[in-house]
Amino acid sequence: MEPTAPTIEQLQALIETTTTINMEVFYWWCTAFMVIIHVGFLAYEMGASRLKNTLASGVKNILAFAFIIPTFFFFGWWIYLAMYNGFTPDFAAGAGGLPWSTSMGPNMSDHASGIFWGAFVLFAATTASVFSGAVIERIRMSSFLVLAIILGSVVWILGASWGWHPDGWLTTEWGFHDFGAAGCVHMVAGFFALGVTMNLGARIGRFAEDGTPVDIKGHNMPMTVIGLMLIIVGFFGFLGGCMIYNGSGEWTTIFGTPVTLSAVSFNTLMAASGGIIGAYFITRQPFWMMSGALVGVVSCAPGLDLYYPPLAFLIALIASMIAPLTDRFLTKRFKLDDAVGAFAVHGMGGFIGLVALGIFSGFPNIAEGTPNISFSGQLMSAVVMALLGFVPGFGLSYVMAKMGMLRVPPKAEVAGLDLVEVPLEAYPESNPSSKNNTLTPTSAPTEPTSTVTA
Amino acid sequence: MNASPITSWEGVAAYFTFANNPTAISIILTLSILATLGIIVASVVHENKTYIDYK
Repeated sequence: MEPTAPTIEQLQALIETTTTINMEVFYWWCTAFMVIIHVGFLAYEMGASRLKNTLASGVKNILAFAFIIPTFFFFGWWIYLAMYNGFTPDFAAGAGGLPWSTSMGPNMSDHASGIFWGAFVLFAATTASVFSGAVIERIRMSSFLVLAIILGSVVWILGASWGWHPDGWLTTEWGFHDFGAAGCVHMVAGFFALGVTMNLGARIGRFAEDGTPVDIKGHNMPMTVIGLMLIIVGFFGFLGGCMIYNGSGEWTTIFGTPVTLSAVSFNTLMAASGGIIGAYFITRQPFWMMSGALVGVVSCAPGLDLYYPPLAFLIALIASMIAPLTDRFLTKRFKLDDAVGAFAVHGMGGFIGLVALGIFSGFPNIAEGTPNISFSGQLMSAVVMALLGFVPGFGLSYVMAKMGMLRVPPKAEVAGLDLVEVPLEAYPESNPSSKNNTLTPTSAPTEPTSTVTA
Repeated sequence: MNASPITSWEGVAAYFTFANNPTAISIILTLSILATLGIIVASVVHENKTYIDYK
C-alpha cells in the first residue's frame, strides 16, 4: 500500500504543533541561561565578601532565588497580568495568574503560561540579586529576605506591568519603550538598593573617623570577575526572554513592536564591548571592566532592538565611564556603602539607557493610538521607575531600621557572619574566623585590615 | 487517594493533582504560603538566638 500524501489540514496541524513546541523550547533554554545569571551573582558576591562573610553572602543569594520563586507564584504573576493600568487591578485580565487558576499548573490546553511564568520568575530573581550585592556583610538575613520578596515579587513586576506590557499605561500613554527591561528590572532594583543602603548604613570600617572612604577588599577578586562574566552569559537568556516568539510571524518585543534576534545580537555584543572598554579607560581594573560590561548592556537595553550598533557601542562606552564615577561620588559625598556598586551599575546604567533612547527617539509604536517613542516619554518613565524602586526600598528599610531588625549586631559583624550564622566553613584550613580556630566570639569590634581609597 | 482530575487523556485540559477539587487546592496552597512565611519567621528566631552572644 502506497503512503498517501498528507492533507492540508494535517500539514496545518503539524505546523501549529511545531510552532508551539518551538516556543516552549525557546523559553525553556532562555530560562536555563538566566539561571547562569544567578551562578554569576553567587560567585560575584561571595568573592566580593571578606573571608569571614563568604558563605553568609552565598546563603543570602541562594535564598533570594529560592524565596522569589514561590512568592512570584503566589502573587507576582497576577500583579503583572492585572495591574497594567496603574494601581487599579483588572481582575478579569489577572484571573489566569491567580495561584489557583487552571493555567497555573500542568494543562494540555495552555502551553504558554508556565514557560512565560518561568522566564519572569528569573527576571524577578535577577532584581533580588542586584539588590543583594549592595547590602552584603551587615544586613540581617530575615530582613533581606522580606525586602527581596517585596522587590522581586511585587515592586519590579508592578513596573513591568506598567511599562513592559502591551497594555501598560507607560506604553500606551507615554510611548515608553524599554526592550531589555532597563527600567523595571535594573532601575527599580538599583534604586531600591539605594534606598535600603541609606538606612542600612556602611559596614564597620568602611569610613575612617574623618569620613575618608576606606576600601574593604573582597577575599577573591578572580571569582568576582568570573562571576560578572557569567552574568553576561546569562544576559543572552535574559534578552531572549524579552522577546515574544510568535511562530507564524516576526518576533516582537514584549510590548508588541517588531524585532529580530539578529538586531539584539549586534547591539548586545557591541554594548558589552563598549562597556568593558569605557570602564577600563576610567579605572584600569577588572572588577569595573566586567561591571562596565553590565553597564554597557543595561544602558543600551531599552534600544537593543533599534540602535545602529556603533551607537550602542558609544552609549555603552560613555555609560560605563559614568558608572564608576557615580559610585565614587556617592561613596565620598554621601558616605554610602554600596558594596558592589549596584546602584551605579543598574540604577544609573538603566537611567542613562532610558534617557539615551529618548534622545535617539522617534520610532513608532505598534498599538493604535499609542504615541511614538519620545524624549519626554522616556524621561518621565525613567522617573516613575526610579520612584517605584526607591520609595518602597527606603520606606520599608526605614521601618525595619527603627525596629532594630535591619542590621546584625556590631559584634556579629566584626566576628564575621559565617561564624555567627552558618554551620559550615568556606575555607576551614585557612579562615581566621574558622569555628575550629575561634571558639568564642570576639569581645570587642576591631577595625578590618584595609587601605584608604585613593 | 485518587488525586487525578481526569479519567482519560482524550481532550484533556488542566490535569494537575486536585485540579477539580478547590478545597484540596486551597489547603495545599495555604500550607505552602504558611511554610514560606513560617520559615522566614523561623529565621528571625534563629538570628535572635545566634545574636545573643554578640550583643
